[in-house]
Amino acid sequence: MMRALKIARSAKLPRLAALLVTVAGLGLAGCDDHAGDPKVQIGANPELPALQQYLMPPMRVAKVVGWGEETPTVAQGLQVHALATGFEHPRSLYVLPNGDVLVVESNGPKAPISRPKDIITGWVQSFAGAKAKDANRITLLRANGDGAPELRTTFLDHLNSPFGVALVGHDLYVANTDAIVRYPYQDGQISITAAGTKLTDLPGGPIDHHWTKSLLASPDGSKLYVGVGSNSNIGENGIGAEYERAAIWEVDRASGAHRIFASGIRNPTGMQWEPETGKLWAIANERDEIGPDLVPDYLTSVRDGGFYGWPYSYYGQHLDPRIVPQRPDLVATAIAPDYALSSHVAPLGVAMYTGTDLPENYHGGAFVGEHGSWNRTPLNGYKVVFVPFSGGKPSGPAQDVVTGFLDANDHARGRPVGLAVDRRGGLLIADDVGNTVWRVSSSKPGAPPKPAS
Amino acid sequence: MKHVAITETTFTGDTNSSSSARRRRRPIHRMLVSFSAAYFAGALVTDIVYWQMPDVLWERFSIWLILAGLVMAGLATVAYVIDLAGHRRIERPAWPRVVGYALAVLLSVVNAFVHSRDGYTAVVPSGLMLSALVVVVLLFTAWVGMALANRQRVGA
Repeated sequence: MMRALKIARSAKLPRLAALLVTVAGLGLAGCDDHAGDPKVQIGANPELPALQQYLMPPMRVAKVVGWGEETPTVAQGLQVHALATGFEHPRSLYVLPNGDVLVVESNGPKAPISRPKDIITGWVQSFAGAKAKDANRITLLRANGDGAPELRTTFLDHLNSPFGVALVGHDLYVANTDAIVRYPYQDGQISITAAGTKLTDLPGGPIDHHWTKSLLASPDGSKLYVGVGSNSNIGENGIGAEYERAAIWEVDRASGAHRIFASGIRNPTGMQWEPETGKLWAIANERDEIGPDLVPDYLTSVRDGGFYGWPYSYYGQHLDPRIVPQRPDLVATAIAPDYALSSHVAPLGVAMYTGTDLPENYHGGAFVGEHGSWNRTPLNGYKVVFVPFSGGKPSGPAQDVVTGFLDANDHARGRPVGLAVDRRGGLLIADDVGNTVWRVSSSKPGAPPKPAS
Repeated sequence: MKHVAITETTFTGDTNSSSSARRRRRPIHRMLVSFSAAYFAGALVTDIVYWQMPDVLWERFSIWLILAGLVMAGLATVAYVIDLAGHRRIERPAWPRVVGYALAVLLSVVNAFVHSRDGYTAVVPSGLMLSALVVVVLLFTAWVGMALANRQRVGA
């Protein structure tokens, strides 16, 4: 006791305190980790490093600077122009049979504050334009021959964080964050004023962490497939909050009844039918905060009844220690996704190319809109890539098709989100930071591709 | 000025029995320190409950308790610095207490980051261990502080 006091009263302890402060400071700064090459995480067998747990998760969002006079950069043989500008957070696109383009302007409900971290996260993400006002609206664009829209109307208003749209016959379905609503639609209609009819409720608030509900009708029109994202990063809101989430629902169009078509998919933000095999494919956003190279987001075929790991495991049987109690029975059945897109790229739009306008090498493959990372250095994503398909499966590395969303200083001019192929075969890209819809087409329609100017 | 002079003359010895020490009012930071210590101890309790019964509710209690403790620690530091700078209620720091408490607060800052992780590993094992360590450091500091006060009647 006496000795302790003597030591304590000597001048050593303040120095010890200073040392401790330094060590703690280094510990926090020591999280500046180095991300690997995203290329090794693209394709069927991504390299998966050991997981790491952060003291302070890195947050790196690209500052928004806007496009100014710039436009995105496209691959050889392609050209790009702004189809329309001045939107409020355009998230997804849908092309009607007569060629009219629906632009869903939506930004999600306000996230609740359940932990101090939520305040910080919200503050940082506000720099990336993620907290802009929710327009809750669908705008219709009708383009004329030269690509400029000749008509722009508010197609549907006063929605509730809409995302997915699907037309079956004269029934137009809008997936709000909390319900699928059906509206009557007549060919050529430019505005809907009729009240909608609810087909089914979807998991919505109060947390609604992943709020976007993607929507795809079956080819025969009898079913609707709904991508329902998880209610957390990795179950931190409790497993009860995940009821029927992180799943693809199959909704019966006649009755509104649903079943879980596939589960364990953390955030399925887009679905398409693969044209050759007719199988369902989806893009998904994987979990965060276990490293700059974990877990790769993916593109995968979706098997009826399949379980894809979340939250218990990733890429098959790689266990996530953040979930207790574990479910070894489920993990044993977990399917590894078909095609990794690399980590934190945030795929938010997918379009299987079924048109003919673009050069031949794009036929039958998948375009993926990568919104871009917010927790990784260097940034990853912020572009539209193309995954070639052959025999109903990806057949090569993803190619950059539309880039330039980041400037030389890694500031964001825009961020790509939803994709669609328009009636003339152009690729449409919603840009929710540049508030623009871009259209990519062949630089010389009908002629063999040549280098872009 | 006179006050300062008294302080300096009494600085050397162990026997600080000047009547000025007794006339001083009880420092405000002491109360704030008690609050933060109680919050940190509360976080250990909710961590133990979460460890035994992993319901996210307990994890959330823990992080808010740690944050409340850190806010109180911040206020205590401000009060302490004002008192110390003005020689109003304290004349000189009692280093064992200052260092012990600073260590507990630093560990709690680290603990707040650990508790901000998502899922089970926000608490088990590192968060729980840090919460326990903070309480141990605080108890040890209190014990040293009491011994110090009994011997010297130093206020800090």
